[in-house]
Amino acid sequence: MRARWQSTLDHPMLRLELRRIRRVRWWPGRRFFLFYPVVLGATLGCGAIVALSAGLSNLSVPVRFLEPGGIQMAALVTGVPVICLVGTATTLLSVALPWIAPALTSATIARERELGTLDLLRTTLLTERSIVLGKLGGCLARLWPGILALALLTPFQLVGTSLLGGYSSTIGMVALGAKQPWLWLLLATVAGWLKPWGDLVLNAAIGLFVSVLARASSVAVAVTYGAVIVTRVGLWSLEMLLMSVLVIPAMINPMQQLDGQIGLTELMAGLIPLATVLLEITGTVLLVWAAIWWLKRT
Amino acid sequence: MATIIKVKGLTKRYGRLTALKGLDLTVEEGAIFGFVGPNGAGKTTTMRILATLLRPTAGEAWVAGHSVFKERRDVRRAIGYMPDFFGVYGDMKVWEYLDFFAACYEIPVETRRRLIGDLLELVDLAHRRDDYVDALSRGMKQRLCLARSLAHDPQVLILDEPASGLDPRARVEIRELLRELQAMGKTIFVSSHILSEIGEICTHVGIIEAGELVALGTLDEMRQLVRAQRVVKIGLLERVDEAQAWLATWPDVMQIEPVVDNGGGDLQITFAGDDESLARLLSQMVGAGFPVLLFREETGDLEDVFMRLTKGVVS
Repeated sequence: MRARWQSTLDHPMLRLELRRIRRVRWWPGRRFFLFYPVVLGATLGCGAIVALSAGLSNLSVPVRFLEPGGIQMAALVTGVPVICLVGTATTLLSVALPWIAPALTSATIARERELGTLDLLRTTLLTERSIVLGKLGGCLARLWPGILALALLTPFQLVGTSLLGGYSSTIGMVALGAKQPWLWLLLATVAGWLKPWGDLVLNAAIGLFVSVLARASSVAVAVTYGAVIVTRVGLWSLEMLLMSVLVIPAMINPMQQLDGQIGLTELMAGLIPLATVLLEITGTVLLVWAAIWWLKRT
Repeated sequence: MATIIKVKGLTKRYGRLTALKGLDLTVEEGAIFGFVGPNGAGKTTTMRILATLLRPTAGEAWVAGHSVFKERRDVRRAIGYMPDFFGVYGDMKVWEYLDFFAACYEIPVETRRRLIGDLLELVDLAHRRDDYVDALSRGMKQRLCLARSLAHDPQVLILDEPASGLDPRARVEIRELLRELQAMGKTIFVSSHILSEIGEICTHVGIIEAGELVALGTLDEMRQLVRAQRVVKIGLLERVDEAQAWLATWPDVMQIEPVVDNGGGDLQITFAGDDESLARLLSQMVGAGFPVLLFREETGDLEDVFMRLTKGVVS
């Protein structure tokens, strides 16, 4: 076990990539700051929209269900701004990270091929698996500040939103007569927690797979983003389809709910996002495996 | 000597293009095998197959007793491969580059430091240890690449055009290095599209053209193959016509041509005899009082060998 752990740490491919990260200059140079107004403006704009929508959805809960004054009101007053802030950061990160990762992974192996170093790596004793996994690990490691921030922020956001009544749709469900909103809330919280990570690894794996197939890194990047967009739309459509078949009819007509005790509809409404995340993770494993297989084959 | 590389009926097709047509080849242990052919003859394809990077359409190949297709890992352990491009990471330091590849060859951390020192010493780059690879000259990068391919102490070196694009000095350095490596007991399989570039150091030469081996053997065998008769150039101070008549009486002298390009008295004779009779000819010529200024056998230049064996066909 210890030897195994040590060999993982001594993984040459991963170490190479990590060494490169250390080489990255954190100071971007003077000219970069010309872009600052643009970057700042975009960030503030996105932040304002997200904060506004998150704030509104959070506000709608206590207004209806909580007594004004007392502890709840205090929680509301301090909680909402904090959640808006944390929510903005989390949302931005959980969108940005999965869309940056494929840019890194799609360039890796194709770039090695362009440089001619892939042949060298393949004539060494490195296995195809360790090349692919090392590259994947290296790319994710390159995003470490974002990943760390997201990992630290998500619990706060999720707990915060859940405690304060969270998603406005919960309220909708309660209003429509759902008997176990907590069941939905629990599943949806877990799914919401896992979702950015599922997106991140799936997109990274798509990039990696394309990178193994592609001859030029520029082509690899373009194809990867095409594939990522198609996958996203596909997953979203699938989720919507399942929702509209299994959940929405029951919500529109509460009489259609199959039973009163277990709350099958709530279960479904929670399970569908969770299943999507599991699908993403399965896809990731399959893609990485396919990338290794393809590299072995040629 | 044992056979270390064996290639049998190797065929590779890229779509409709046939790069290799049933290539058969053996290389003995300890040899410097020069693999020569024009561009596009199939040299790189053969080397990539031997380096386990490419699967052929048909045929088999063994390196150090291991099948190139079934026992890839054993083959990889036995070979050091250097492609025809540099294949270096510019953003690494020289020692880091070697350290990385040593790690790829599963060499333990404790021995790597010493190994890198030795390798850099061997290729004469010890003073550039902490420089970035990008800062090295072309010749130095090539030597660094060679050092990398030696990291795991392989039995066989497969070097694809190691001297291409180098200046004459760097070329000589690479040649010296190859001699040194042969002395260390390594078998070297080296390709080039210029025979004279590697001809001098090779123990064996294989000439490939359009995916087929047109000649295989030692360099002397190659020369004899091309040159059934020897050509001797004789320079005389005077009495050229007299000498011409005198030479005509020799039975071994097949043909006499006066060379008039410099206005002097040079003769070019085609001689069918062996070394002894050639020596006798010279001594009797001097004995007969001819003022011989120059007596030189025109060795078939390596380029001639190459040009006569290949037809300029590119697949």
